Amino acid sequence: MESNVSTEGPFTVIALAGEVDLYYSPKAREQILSYLNKQKNVLVDLSKVAYIDSSGVASLVEGYQLARSKKLQFGLVGVSQPALQVLQLARLDKVFPIHGSVAELIDNK
Amino acid sequence: MDERAPSEAVIEIENLVAHYGDRQILNGVSLTVEKGEIMVIMGGSGSGKSTLLRHLLGLKKPTSGSIRLLGKDITKISKKEIYQLRRDMGVAFQGGALFGSMTVGENVQLPLREHTKLDEKTMQIMARMKLEVMNLAGFEDLMPSELSGGMVKRAALARAVIMDPKLLFFDEPSAGLDPVVSAELDELILRLRNAMNMTIVVVTHELESAFKIADRITMLDLGNILITDTVENVRNSDIERVQNMLNRRPREVDVDTEAYLRRLTGQKH
Amino acid sequence: MHLRAFVDNIGRRTLNGIAELGYASLLFVECVYWLGAGKFRSQPVRLAAIFRETMNIGVRAIPIASMLCFAVGVMLAIQGIETLKTYGAESKVVIGIALSVTREFSPLIVSILVAGRSGSAIAARIGTMLESQEVDALRVIGINPVRYLAAPLFLGMVIAVPTLTILGDLMGILGGAVYSALELKISLSVYIDQTLASLTVDDIQQGLIKSLVFAVIIVVVGLSNGFQVRGGAEGVGHATTRSVVLSISFIVLADMIFTYLLNR
Repeated sequence: MESNVSTEGPFTVIALAGEVDLYYSPKAREQILSYLNKQKNVLVDLSKVAYIDSSGVASLVEGYQLARSKKLQFGLVGVSQPALQVLQLARLDKVFPIHGSVAELIDNK
Repeated sequence: MDERAPSEAVIEIENLVAHYGDRQILNGVSLTVEKGEIMVIMGGSGSGKSTLLRHLLGLKKPTSGSIRLLGKDITKISKKEIYQLRRDMGVAFQGGALFGSMTVGENVQLPLREHTKLDEKTMQIMARMKLEVMNLAGFEDLMPSELSGGMVKRAALARAVIMDPKLLFFDEPSAGLDPVVSAELDELILRLRNAMNMTIVVVTHELESAFKIADRITMLDLGNILITDTVENVRNSDIERVQNMLNRRPREVDVDTEAYLRRLTGQKH
Repeated sequence: MHLRAFVDNIGRRTLNGIAELGYASLLFVECVYWLGAGKFRSQPVRLAAIFRETMNIGVRAIPIASMLCFAVGVMLAIQGIETLKTYGAESKVVIGIALSVTREFSPLIVSILVAGRSGSAIAARIGTMLESQEVDALRVIGINPVRYLAAPLFLGMVIAVPTLTILGDLMGILGGAVYSALELKISLSVYIDQTLASLTVDDIQQGLIKSLVFAVIIVVVGLSNGFQVRGGAEGVGHATTRSVVLSISFIVLADMIFTYLLNR
């Protein structure tokens, strides 16, 4: 499964898809961290995620922490129901900035 | 691919016969557990519930019968396939079985270290996340001997679910805990199932906890299944032994005069 | 009736003994297998674990092993001088001490010490882990307990005991030298020269081969008793005692056999 990367306004949007599991999440992590290291504001689109495991969530956590230390913007968009449940289990839904969609976020600016 | 398709069996036990030494412990047990279901296996000591669990975990080879976990018959598959299957199984043991020489955090991370090549940082975050879920935040650097009984069980549960298994086994979650702590664990089990859609098998002798968490209950007695049914139907069952167990009545022992006398006098034949 | 029970008993004990011997041999083979093939099955025996065990078994035993071997050296000197006096051949004590320390006493004393110190600890640790279901926990995680627990101990023991034996050789000879120097008024350097002249590589080697065999005995006996613990804390205590008694007995028996074979 490949993640789809696009640029929308000030954001680099990384769209993950399918099952973000032990095989997929190291790649996703690599990608998220590399864009942040290039000083990009990163949004991770989870709308096509059917399943995300804790390694996937851990990668998001690491990304968010890196973004904060670099004073970059980081957020999750279109969080699918299965992904939301996993985030809720660790109370991370209250930690990540979560937005409905990329368009919504840019309009509100 | 519908994740919540009805009647997708995750565990299928067929006609399982098991011995301990010369003694037959399970006399042909058959049981099916559906995906996403919480199945509670109950029974007094000597009912065979611990033996059944050991077989489900692939720690013992049965005399006969088959056990299919996630579609694979663990009595037949190769060691390598069992090793693969273990990534999808989590087990929380009765006494926690945390490794005394490692910190709580290292204990929780151990399955990741053995099975994956994830980044060190990812593993640490995953372990801390699970400890958060179990309300054990900040305890990762303690040794298991520094934890209370309830904390040990929660840490063991964190280790059991670190790989996000499809199948979770929990042996006696309430044993040795006070009612408040044990209610917390019940709550955690329900949350895990709801968030991760795990299939969970709990072995217990605590009625209260069983009624609270179970979708279905299986009652074992002397190596046979008395009943497998929903909580409601188990409560209303008119099987006498089931009611005896629910009401904690000791069982009536049938007296075979001849055999009894022989036992007392020590004659073998 | 009594005779039958007696024969019955002997038969059962023999069977149990054979079963246990089989189990121990299997453990031995498995340890060697994992040490050799572990990394090809992506289940390597970790270096850190081997290092830790070698540390525990070997390095921590250095003070006591040195002391005991030194004492044995002194003892041999006293007895040797006393005995040889009758023939007026006291100065021959040097060669006597050199040979008996390197061939016999150093491996034996070191092994008995390690059996008491570490053999028992191995049985206790494995037994306790078995009782607390930690061994089961390893297995359900997919970690082979022999690879994870036994193999590092095995290698640690096989490294530590021969190394301690070399140290024991030196300390034993030193003990003999100190006493002889005082008693016979020969200087230390002369004593050491004479010792070196009388020792051959073969003598040292004989001791080392023995110590290797003893190391295997200690670790395999400790492990197999540990893995066969039944019955809670009492069972662990029983296994601990049993492993010390058994390994010391086997060490002495093996020593006799080896001494016979190596000196023919």
